[in-house]
This record gives sequence, C-alpha cells and structure tokens, in this order.
Amino acid sequence: MIKLIHLTKKYGHHTAINNVHLTVNAGEIFGFIGPNGAGKTTTIQIMAGLLLPSSGNVLLSDVSMNDHPVKSKQLVGYIPDRPFIYEKLTGIEYLRFIGDFYHVSESTFQKRSQELLNQFALMDRSNELIEAYSHGMKQRLIMASALLHDPPIIIVDEPMVGLDPVAIKLVRDIFQQRSAQGTTIFMSTHTLSLAEQICHRVGIIHNGQLIATGTIDELKASAKKGTNDLEDIFFQLTIANTREE
Amino acid sequence: MRSLYSTKTSIRTFFEMKDIITLLSPRYLAIIRRGLSKKKLIGMSFFAGIGMAIWSIIFYVSYRVLTYFKHAENIGDFLSYKLLSMILLTLFSLLIFSAILTALSKLFLSNDLGLVHGLPVSSETIFISRWIESSFDSAWMMILYTAPAFIAFGIVFDGSVLYYFFLLGSLLLISIIACGLSSLVVMPIVLILPATRIRSVFAFFGLGMFILLYVGFRIMQPERFVNPEGFASIMLYLRTIGMPSTPLIPSTWVFDTLKSSLESQYFDAFFHMSILFSFAGALIFLNIVIARHIYFQGYSKSQTAQSRLIEGNNQFIYRLMNRIPGPVRALLIKEMRTFWRDQTQWSQLFLIAALIVIYLYNFSVLPFDQSPMKMHYIENLFSFLNIALAAFVLTAIGARFVFPSISHEGMAFWIIQSSPITIKTYMWIKWLGYFIPLIILSELLIVTTNILLHVNPFMKVLSVITMLCITPGVVATGIGLGAAYPDFKSENPTQTVTGFGGLMYMFCSSAFFGSVILLETGPVYLLFKNHFQIVFFTGTEFLFLVFCLSLALLICVLMLFFAMRFGERRLTQRMQNTSLDDDHSCQNQQIERVSSGAPSATRKGILLARVNQIISGYANRYPAKKVLEEIHSCY
Repeated sequence: MIKLIHLTKKYGHHTAINNVHLTVNAGEIFGFIGPNGAGKTTTIQIMAGLLLPSSGNVLLSDVSMNDHPVKSKQLVGYIPDRPFIYEKLTGIEYLRFIGDFYHVSESTFQKRSQELLNQFALMDRSNELIEAYSHGMKQRLIMASALLHDPPIIIVDEPMVGLDPVAIKLVRDIFQQRSAQGTTIFMSTHTLSLAEQICHRVGIIHNGQLIATGTIDELKASAKKGTNDLEDIFFQLTIANTREE
Repeated sequence: MRSLYSTKTSIRTFFEMKDIITLLSPRYLAIIRRGLSKKKLIGMSFFAGIGMAIWSIIFYVSYRVLTYFKHAENIGDFLSYKLLSMILLTLFSLLIFSAILTALSKLFLSNDLGLVHGLPVSSETIFISRWIESSFDSAWMMILYTAPAFIAFGIVFDGSVLYYFFLLGSLLLISIIACGLSSLVVMPIVLILPATRIRSVFAFFGLGMFILLYVGFRIMQPERFVNPEGFASIMLYLRTIGMPSTPLIPSTWVFDTLKSSLESQYFDAFFHMSILFSFAGALIFLNIVIARHIYFQGYSKSQTAQSRLIEGNNQFIYRLMNRIPGPVRALLIKEMRTFWRDQTQWSQLFLIAALIVIYLYNFSVLPFDQSPMKMHYIENLFSFLNIALAAFVLTAIGARFVFPSISHEGMAFWIIQSSPITIKTYMWIKWLGYFIPLIILSELLIVTTNILLHVNPFMKVLSVITMLCITPGVVATGIGLGAAYPDFKSENPTQTVTGFGGLMYMFCSSAFFGSVILLETGPVYLLFKNHFQIVFFTGTEFLFLVFCLSLALLICVLMLFFAMRFGERRLTQRMQNTSLDDDHSCQNQQIERVSSGAPSATRKGILLARVNQIISGYANRYPAKKVLEEIHSCY
C-alpha cells in the first residue's frame, strides 16, 4: 500500500507539487498521468526517497519514508525513466550489486537472476559490459534489477521509454501478473492507452496539483458527454485547469 | 564558363567557411557565457597563480642553465644549442602524442558528433572545424609551458625582436604540423580498429614511453653533465652529448629557424620557416583531401560499440567476501571492477608507480657525504621531512582518485539514492575502499625511505605512526569534500579536482598534515637536542612531547570525523533538495507561470526576472517569444 499524505514540494518560489494526497491499495496498478512539467517525476522521486518533500509524508506499507528511509527503500523496486547505470559492470554483475543491497541470499540470487535475465531476454548478453547495451536493454536490465528482491511496491517512471513492442508487451504482462500477486504498482506514463489497458485507477496531475483520481469509468462518468477515452478526459481536465488559472 | 565555375567555387568556399565558423561557435559561446561566480573566480585565480609560478620556475631554471652554459668556454654555445634541439624534439614528440589522443576524441568519439553529422554540412567541413579545435586543445598548454625556455634563449643570446617573431611563427607551425601528421595517422587506423581501443592503446603506450624516458633520464643522473670535472675526459663528455639530428624532422627546421635568428641570420631563418610553412600547408591540404574520402567512413565505424565478454559472476571474489555485509561487499566490488575496467583510471597508477620509484631512487642517491652536518643528524632530519613529502604525495594521489570518487557515480547516483543505504554508510564504505590501498602505499613509502636513510628507532616509529594517523584524515578529506562538491554530470569527473572543491581539498589536506607535522617539530627538535635519547629528556620536555603528540593525534581523529560529517550533510542536503535532472543553479528554479489575475507590479517583476534569466542564458525552458507575448499582454 502507498499513501501520499499532503505532499508538497517547493523549489524556491516555485511549487512543483502542491498538496498531493492519495492512497494506492495493495495489488493495485495506479497510473499517474499529466503533461510535461506537471510534477510526476518529482512525486515519484519523493516516493522513491531521492527527494525530501517540503511538507507531507509518504507511507510505504505503513513505513514512513521521512522517518525510516532505509526500511522504506527495502520495500520498493524503483525504475527511473532514464537508464543511467554502471557501464563498466556486466549485466549479471549489476544484478549482483543490487541484490547485495537488498540482502538477497546467494541461492535466491542464482535462481531469480536466471529467471529475470531469461524473462527480459538478456541472458545472452549478461556477461557483456553494460556500455555495449542499447537503451532498451539497459532499461530492461534496470527493470530486472528492480524485481530481483521481489518488492511489495514497484515505483516506475515512464516504463515504456526506449522499449520495443515485444518488450512493452512483456512489461505490461509482468505488471499485471505482479499486481494479481498483491504487488502495488505506481506508474507514471505518457502512454494513455497503456494506462487505460492496465491501470486499475488513474490520477491526473497538472501544475503540481492532483486534479482527478478514479477508475477510468468514474472519470468518464464525471467528464463531458461524448467522452470516449482517457485521452479525451485528459485533455478536457488539463485544458479546463489551465483556463481556471 | 570558367568564370561561372570559379564563381560557384568561391560561393561554395564562402559557405563552407561560414559553416566552419558556425560549427566552432558553440565552443567560444560556451566560454563567453560561462558565468563566473565568485567561487569560480577564486578557483581560477588560484590555478592561474600556480600556472604563473610554474611558468616562472621553468623560465628561471632555463635562464640559469643557459647562463651557466654561456660561461663554459668553447663548448657553452654547443651545449645550449644541443639543449634547444632536445627541447624541440621532445616538444614535437609530445605534440604528436597529444594530438593523436585529442584527434581521436574530437573527430570520432565526442558526444556531440551525432548531432553534427546529422547537419546538412559536408564531412570535410566537419573535419576542418574539429581539426581546428583539436589542434588548439592539444597544443596550447605545451606551447605555453615551453615558451619560457625559448624566451630564456632569446634573453641569454641577446635575440632581437625578430627572434620572437620567428619563435611565435615556428611554434605555431610545428603545432599545425604535429596535428596534421596525427590526423593523417588516425583517420586510416580508425577504419581498422575501434577508436576507443586506439585511444586506450595510445594512452597506455605514451604513458609507458614517458615512464621509460623519465626513469632512464633520472638514472642517467643528468646533473653530471653540468659538471665537466665529473668526467674523465672532455672528449667523453662531448661524445655523450653529441647526437646527430636528422634534417627530415620538423623539429630540426624549427631548430634551424631559431638558431639562425639568434645568430641574426634572418634570411636563413626565413628560409627554414618557409619550409615549415609549406610543409604545414601541404599537410592541411592532404588532410582535407583524405578526409573528404574516408573521414565519414571512419566516424561511422567508430559508432560500433566494442563488445567485451567478461567471465561474469566470478564466484571467487564473492566467496572471499562472504562474511562482509551485503552493501559493503556490493560497493567495494563495484569500485574495484569499475576502476580496473576503466583504462583511464588504472593507467595513471603506472605513472604514480614510476614516480614513486624515482622518489625512492632520489633518496638512495642523496649526497649526505657532501653535507657539512653529521650524517646521523641529516639522515634523521630527512626522515622527518620525508613525512611531509609522503603526506603530500598521498594528498596528490587523493586528488586524483579519492576526491572525484563520488562524482564518478555520475548520473547513476540515483542507484545509491534509491537503495536501502544511508549516505553516511555509503561514504564510509567509500572511505574504507580507498583507505586500505593508500595506507599500504604510504607506509611502504615511509618504511622504504627509512631503510634507505638508516634512521634511528624513534624516528622510524614516529614516521610510521604519523602516517598511520594522517592517512585516514587525508582520505576522509577527499571523500568528505568530494561529497560536498560533487559533479555528477561531468563527462570527465577526474577534472572536478580543478574546481573550487578540489582547491578546498588540497588546502584542507595540506593544512591538516602540515599542522600535524608542525606539532611534531617540537618533540623532534628535543630529540635531536638530546642526541636521540629519550632518557635524557627532562620532566617538562617529556610532558611537552606527550602534549604535542596527543594534540597531533586529536587533530587526526577530528579531521577524520568532521570531514566525513561535513560531506555527508552537504551531499544529503543537496540530494534531497535537487534531483540529478536539475542543475542546482538557477535552472533549478523553474520559471513561474504568470497568472493573469496577479497584480500588475508582481507580473512585471516576474517577467523582468524571466527576461534577465533568458539574457543570462539560464531560462532555456521558457521560449523568449512567449515572454514577449506575455509582456505585451501586460500593457
């Protein structure tokens, strides 16, 4: 379970996110959508413990990120939008490196690393230096590393960037499988069709404020007549929000 | 028809020149728009001061040597010209080596080449602009720091103004020649071997050559050459230094130019410089012709990433470190692997090893027997001074490896941030990773020099324990200040030491070990006074000794913890208030939207601030056109 409690983040005079308050239940896939610069990545980085909020708190499985950051991070598999990793390690060495941080035992590591490398089609390249990997391969490796310790919460920023259609389907299937097993997934995305396909609920953020949350059906019901899909809802809400200002 | 062709050619040449200038513009715009803060100015002034000091030392030494040679009858001028020839040959060799490495980077490996080759400009235009940049980058520092030697020649030999004209011209031309030859070598090789591999090989080869030359030079004991009495006969002396120089190499043409101008034979000087000029011109022409045919093929080939298979999942090292906690093991293994797999890192170790060998060799040949003081005293005095030298070597190594270690995480630092590990734990693991090899190195230095100096037991123990206490503090200063002043975005994190943080590191580390050694001076003086017998110490002297040594120990302990704590706080603060995606300067303050409902004065104020940001070059997120529209809407 994830709880964002009145989360606010300011940079000087600029408010990046303003009083974001929501709960994501266990086993739910929550889609976090919004235009560029809305505050998605800021929210995600606060949840992953990379940034401190100006006010508010993040509870991950009832563990406060502010008060117990190390314990909170143990519960999370974080996948950033850009795959910057250690280029001088091989794929398997990188997985080992991550596994050691999360106290993954030797036997578990051997078993899970093989599974994940096969699942993400990286087995053949696992002994090559990461510097020789393509963007998509690095992204898949990071995803594999995030799942290595079987976290109850996955926080992912733009999961499909740089992935080919096969990898996109793979990631989608993995998220749905994990969710069915009880993993909470908090995902920011620009791909509205993906959000429609797999997210149980969606939150729309604009100018740092959460302007709508709910299932797709709930959002459609509250939107104008003739609203067909999430894209329509998104444009209606964000343009309306801009006009209000 | 002919005039139409020549007009077309002229127009084409004009646009190519324009393209070349456009391609060079980001470089000079970046310099102009750097925006010097107070910290940067202080740092730059400091390094400029060091540069001036080195320049002055080179000039002074050159001047003294040449003046000494001048006074040697019959062979003085011969010696001076031989020295000039050696300097020019060395300079030319170094220019070629440097130009090869720079050309590889600029022509084939630079990050912006993808953008540049996608532009509608010919590959030879790109080649010319990059070659100009590469030539400047590879040559300016070497020319700058050999200039004092040439100026000394001018002064000692009463060179006229024309000598300096010929000097400037010939140095410029030899740089162009070196860069021209280098790119002629590099362009075809890149078609066969990966560019990154060539760069590593050349860097390693060059380093090896430098080490061999330096070791060979030192073992030759060149100080003997300035003392002819050290040789059995003057003929042996002349034979030793008499080496013919070939007329086919450009350094000989420069030598002939400068020699002729020093001897006021300006026609000959002009002739030799013309050879340089024509050769440089021919090389430029040849480079352009060859680049037209093969440069782009070479660039395209260099985009292939070299694929290195490593026997991964090496169980041995994990079994060895089985009992170590997971995060500690993970970071130590990661540090070792990334260090040894990055040739630019570990190749520096060879240089350091060679310098340490020379350091120790120098101690073994110190002429104590020629000193007026008793050998016993001077050996122990040198042992004490050696502590400062060894600490300085440690500081210098720390500047190269320890200080940039946090910055080396680069954009991958998010992994540490999001991992279940505190910044404190991370920094202490880093400290441990560097402390172990550096304590071994520093103790090895001290123990070896003590053996060479035959020091007494007290000095042995004092120097070993002092290094044992200083090393943790120096490493902590490196890690702490490296964490306080990181640069995660730099392409070359090693250069972070040239910034304000690096300056602070050198200053703090030097002040730290300087204060420890200063505190030990009193006890050491008392020891000398009492002929190295502690039993002769009076009660007060003994108390003074204990007090000084205890205070020194306290400083070491405090430095260790304060430096780490300072770095931890600064890094935590920095990381929790900015993300790696944002620059921590004013770009971090995203530009506010101006609400149409806001009071006019506030709107004007915000817009003015925004305009200022655009002018200063920071507000690149908000197009200038939008700002103008909003300004119009205000009125």
